[in-house]
Amino acid sequence: MTDAPIAFESSPSLSAAVVRRALVRDTARRSLARRRLAGRVATSLCTVALCISLVPLVALIAYIISRGLPALSGGFLVHTPTPEGIPGNGIGNAIVGTLIIVGLAMAMAVPVGLAASLFVVERPGKLSGALRFAANVLTGAPSIAIGVFAYAVFVVNFGYSGLAGSFALTVLMLPIMLRFNEEAMFTVPADLWEAGLALGSPRARVVRSVVLRSALPGIVTGNLLAMARAIGETAPLIFTIFGSQFFVFRPTSPMSAMPLTIYDNATQAYPDAQQTAWGTALVLMVLVIILSVVARVVAAHLNRKTR
Amino acid sequence: MSSLLAPDGFAGADPSSPVRGVREALERRRARAHGHVYAVVRWAGAGIFAAVFVTLLVTLFDQASAALGHMGIAILWTGWNPAKNQYGAGVFIVGTLLTTLVALVVAVPIGIGTAVLLSELAPRWIAAPFTLMVEFLAAVPSIVVGLWGLIVLTPLFATHVEPFLKKVPLLNVLFHGTAYGASVLLAGVVLAVMILPTIVALSRVAMSGVAVADREAGLALGATRWQVVSKAVVPGARRGIRASITLAMGRALGEAIAVALVIGNNTSLPHSLLSPGATLGSAIVNSFSEATPGSLEKSGVVALVVVLLAISVLVNAGGQLLLRARKPGLPPRGPVTESASPIMPTVPGVPDTAGTTT
Repeated sequence: MTDAPIAFESSPSLSAAVVRRALVRDTARRSLARRRLAGRVATSLCTVALCISLVPLVALIAYIISRGLPALSGGFLVHTPTPEGIPGNGIGNAIVGTLIIVGLAMAMAVPVGLAASLFVVERPGKLSGALRFAANVLTGAPSIAIGVFAYAVFVVNFGYSGLAGSFALTVLMLPIMLRFNEEAMFTVPADLWEAGLALGSPRARVVRSVVLRSALPGIVTGNLLAMARAIGETAPLIFTIFGSQFFVFRPTSPMSAMPLTIYDNATQAYPDAQQTAWGTALVLMVLVIILSVVARVVAAHLNRKTR
Repeated sequence: MSSLLAPDGFAGADPSSPVRGVREALERRRARAHGHVYAVVRWAGAGIFAAVFVTLLVTLFDQASAALGHMGIAILWTGWNPAKNQYGAGVFIVGTLLTTLVALVVAVPIGIGTAVLLSELAPRWIAAPFTLMVEFLAAVPSIVVGLWGLIVLTPLFATHVEPFLKKVPLLNVLFHGTAYGASVLLAGVVLAVMILPTIVALSRVAMSGVAVADREAGLALGATRWQVVSKAVVPGARRGIRASITLAMGRALGEAIAVALVIGNNTSLPHSLLSPGATLGSAIVNSFSEATPGSLEKSGVVALVVVLLAISVLVNAGGQLLLRARKPGLPPRGPVTESASPIMPTVPGVPDTAGTTT
C-alpha cells in the first residue's frame, strides 16, 4: 500500500502522502461496514443541514414576494410617497435616487479603481503592498464606519446630499474593485505581456490592447458585483443622503434611496408603511439579482469572445 | 495582434525616404507621451486610493479623539451613559461578540454541512439549482434580511421560539428572562441567516477546487465516499472554508442596520441571550443622529466606530494569519496566495462572487 502507483498531480492543497496516510489509517481502524455506516450518518446529517438552511432562505424569499407583490400595484414604481393612509404611495423618488447615487459612485469608483489596480499590477513594491493592505482593511471594514466617515468629511462641510452618499459608496466599492481588477489582470498570462512588449509596442499600448482586453471579463464582472453590493447598502447612506419625499435630480441636495426607504418604513408601526417596505425590498432585490445575472452573462459572453 | 504595431507600419515605407526618419521620431515621441499619460493615470489612481484610506483613518481618529481622551483605555469595559458623560463601549463589545458568536454557532455547522452536500454528496440535478439559489441569496441586501427579522421573526420569537427555549433543560441557563422577541438571540439568528449563504457558497467553491486526483486516489485506495470527503476534500479545502468563516464573521461583526432593527437597543449589559441588547454597529446607528454635532457624545459615537474598526481589522488579520499558518507535518503546499479558495480568488466583503468566474 505504501507505494501505490498513483500519480498525484500537483494538487492545489494537500499532498498525496497526507491524504493516503489519513485514508490508510482510517481504513485499517474501521471495517467497511462501519465506514459505510459513518458515511450514511454523515450524509443524512448534511441533508438535515441543507434542509435547515433552506427553511429561512426560502421563507425569506417567499415573504418578500408575497408581501411585496401587493405593494407593487398602481404607480408604486413612479409615484412619490404619500402621507399615511392616503392611497397612491410610491417609491419613484427612491428609485431615481438610488440610480443617481449609485451611478455617480460608479463614475467615480470605476476609473480610480482601474488606475489604482494598474499601479498595483505594474509597480510591485512597497507602495503596492501598502495599497493592497489598505484594500484588505477597507473591504473588511464595517460599512457603517464608511458612512460615519462620509458624514465627517462631506456632510459636516457641505450638508446632506446625494453626492455625499455617492462618495460613501465609492469608498465602499473602491477596495472591492481594486482586488477584483488585480486578480483579473493577474490571470493574464505573462506570455501575452511579453509578446506585446517584444513587438516593440509601448507599455501603455500593451496594457490597453492586450492586458485590459483579456482581463475584461473579470474586470466587468468584478465592477458589476461591487455595484450590486453598493446598491443594497444602507449604512453608508443613512447619515449622508438624509432622504426626501420628492423627485430630486440634483445630487447636491438631500435625496432618497431604496435601502433608506426600507429602513425608514420598517421602523414605523403602520401597516401601509410596512407594505411599502416590503415592496421596496422586492424591487431592490430584483435589481440586485438582475445585476448579478448580468455580471455573469457578461463574463460568460466576453469569455467566449476573447477565446 | 496586428494592432500592436504602429498603425501605419514600416513595411510599406520606402527605406531610403527621409520622411521615414521623421515619422519614426514622431511615433517615438507619441509613444513616450502616451507612456507619460499612462504613468500619470496610474499614479493618480494609486494616490487617490491611498488618500481616501489615510483620510478615513485620520478623520475617524480625529473625531474620536475627544472621547478617547476622556475615557482612556477604560472605554473597552465601561458602559454607555451620556447622562453621566460616560461613553464606554464595554456593553456594546459584549453585545457584538455575543451576537457574532450566536450567528457562527448557528451558521457554521449548517453552512459547512450544506456545502459538503452540494459539492460532494448530492447528485448534480439536486446540487445545481440549490447552488445557484444559495449564490443569489448571498446577494440579498442585509436591510432586507433585517426587515424580515423585524416583521416576521420578532413576533415568532416572542410567542414561540423563546418560550420554548426557556423550557429546554440544561440549555435554559442561557435563556431566561422575559421573552420580548427582540433580543441578542434574535439578532444572532438574523445574522446567521445573513451569513449562511456566504459560508455555503465560498466553502462549496473551496471544496470543488480540491484536485480530482486527490479524490480519485482515495477511491482507488478503496475508501468510501465519505472517507474521501472527510480525509481528502475537507482538509484540502480547509483554507477556503476558514476564509469563508472569517469573511462571514467580519460581516456579522460589522452589520449595523439589520441588527439595530431586531436587537431591542438596550444599553445595559445583557444577562441572558433573551435580553434586548446592543452591538457596536446598532449603537452607532441609534446614537449618531441623536448626538449634537461637536458634542462629546458625537465624539463618543465615533469612538465606537474606531473600536468596531479595530475589532474588524483584528479579525481580518487573524484570518489572514490563520490562512498562512501551516499545520506541522504537512509538506509545503505551493505559493500561498491571498485568495480564499484554491481555484478562485475571492474578495472579502463580496460574498456573491463565488462561482461567477468558475
